[in-house]
Amino acid sequence: MVQTGDWVFVLSNADTLLFGLVVTVVLTLTSLSVGFLLGFPAGAIEVYGDGVLRRVVTVAGGLLRGTPIVVILLVLFFVVSVSESAFITATVGLGLRSAAYQSQLFRGALQSVDEGQLEAARATGMGKLQAIRHVVVPQALRRSMPGFQNEFTIVLKDTSIAFAIGLAELLTQGYNLFTQSGRSTAVLEVFLVISAVYFVLTFLTNRGLDRVSDYYAIPAGENR
Amino acid sequence: MTLLRIDDVYQSYEAEQVLQGVSFDMQQGDVDVLMGPSGSGKSTMLRCINRLTEVDSGDIWLGDTHVTAPETDVNELRQDVGMVFQDFNLFAHLTALENITLGLKRVKGVHAEQARERARGHLDQVGLGDQTDAYPAELSGGQKQRVGIARALAMEPKLMLFDEPTSALDPELVGDVVAVMQDLAAGGMTMLVVSHEMGFARSAADDIHFLDNGQIVESGPPEQLFEQPEQDRTAGFLSGLQADGPQ
Repeated sequence: MVQTGDWVFVLSNADTLLFGLVVTVVLTLTSLSVGFLLGFPAGAIEVYGDGVLRRVVTVAGGLLRGTPIVVILLVLFFVVSVSESAFITATVGLGLRSAAYQSQLFRGALQSVDEGQLEAARATGMGKLQAIRHVVVPQALRRSMPGFQNEFTIVLKDTSIAFAIGLAELLTQGYNLFTQSGRSTAVLEVFLVISAVYFVLTFLTNRGLDRVSDYYAIPAGENR
Repeated sequence: MTLLRIDDVYQSYEAEQVLQGVSFDMQQGDVDVLMGPSGSGKSTMLRCINRLTEVDSGDIWLGDTHVTAPETDVNELRQDVGMVFQDFNLFAHLTALENITLGLKRVKGVHAEQARERARGHLDQVGLGDQTDAYPAELSGGQKQRVGIARALAMEPKLMLFDEPTSALDPELVGDVVAVMQDLAAGGMTMLVVSHEMGFARSAADDIHFLDNGQIVESGPPEQLFEQPEQDRTAGFLSGLQADGPQ
C-alpha cells in the first residue's frame, strides 16, 4: 500500500538516492567508454583484420556475449578479484560486455559503407588506414547511432546489476532504504521513485543522442 | 612521347582468365576508348593501370614508372592516375567541395584554404561552381559524375581512366558528362575510357581498341573501326551497339 508516511520517508532520504544516482550515471559513462575504446577497434579488426588477432577478438566477443552479465560481475569480483573496488570491477565487467556488443554494432556499420568509396579513396592515393579513417569511419559512426542509443540504454539500466557485488548505485541505495528496520512498507514507494529516475535518465539521454544524430546527419535530397 | 605502355598483360580471377596478353601504347595527349562485350576485361584492364587489380604477368609503364614492379609505391603511382567510376563512388558524408579537398589535403598535403580554392576551380571547370556545398545525395547522377571527374582532376594526374562513366546515367544526363570529357580531351588530357558512348568515341577518340575474351581483337581510329572493321567480331559487336543506339 502507498502510504503518505512512506513518501515522506523516501523524500527525506533523497540524498541517499541522489548518491546512488551519481554512481549510476558515472558507472554508465565509464562502462560505455571502456566499451567504445575496446569495442570500436574490435569491430574494425573483425572487418579489416586477419589471422590470430581476428580470431582472438571473435572468440572473446562470443564468450562475453554468451555469459549473463551477473555471472561476469560475480566472477570478476569474487573469483578473479580484478579489484577490491566494486566500482572498478563493475566498470570492467559492464565495459567488457558492452565492448562485445559495440564491436558487433561497429562491425555492421563499417561493413555497410559501400566498398566503392574505399576504392575511390585508395585510387586518389590514400593509404588503406587513411581511407578507412577519413571515408569509412565517419559514415560508420553515423550509421551506428541508433544501435548505440540502444546500447546506452541497456548499459544504463544494467548498472543496477552491480547490486550483486554491493556497489552503492541507485538500486542498492534504494534497497538499503527500505531494508532499514520498520521501513519495509516503503518498498513500493522506493521502487516507483527509482523506476521513474531510470525512465527519465533513459528518456533524456535518448533525446540528447537523437539531437546529436540529427546534427551530424548527412543531408539527402530528392535526387537519388 | 609514350605515356602509357601496356605490354603483354595477363590477369586471372580465380580460375577465369580475364586478360590474355593485352598490349597497346598511348602517346601523351591521346584519347583511347576500350570497347567490347561485358566480361571482356575492359574494366580489369583499367584497374591494372592503377593497381586496384594486380596483373599475373606482363608489364605496364607510365612514363618512367614501372607500374607493375612490386617495389613501386602504389600510393604515389595513383596520384598520377585519376580514376572515374561507373557508380561515381563519391564520399557520401562530404560536400562536393570536400570530396575534392580530401585528397588534396590528405595525400598532397595542400593547406586547407588553398585546397578549397583549387577545388572550387575544378568544380567550375565541370560546370558545378554553384554546387560546392551540395552533398552527393542532393545531386543528380550527371552532377555526381562531374564531381567524380573534378575529384580525379584535382590530383593533377598524367592519365585519366574512365570506367563506364555514363552507363549508370539516365540518357538525358549523359550529354553533360560527355561534354566535360570532350573539353578535357580538347585540353590535351591523356584519357583511357571504357565506354560504349559512340558520340564521344567518334568526336574525341584517337584510337579505339575492341576487346573480346581478354584480348584486343582490333584497334584503330573510330572512322576505320566504325566504318570498315576488319574483324567479323568487331563488326558484329558494333552493329549491335549502333542498332541499340548509344548506351
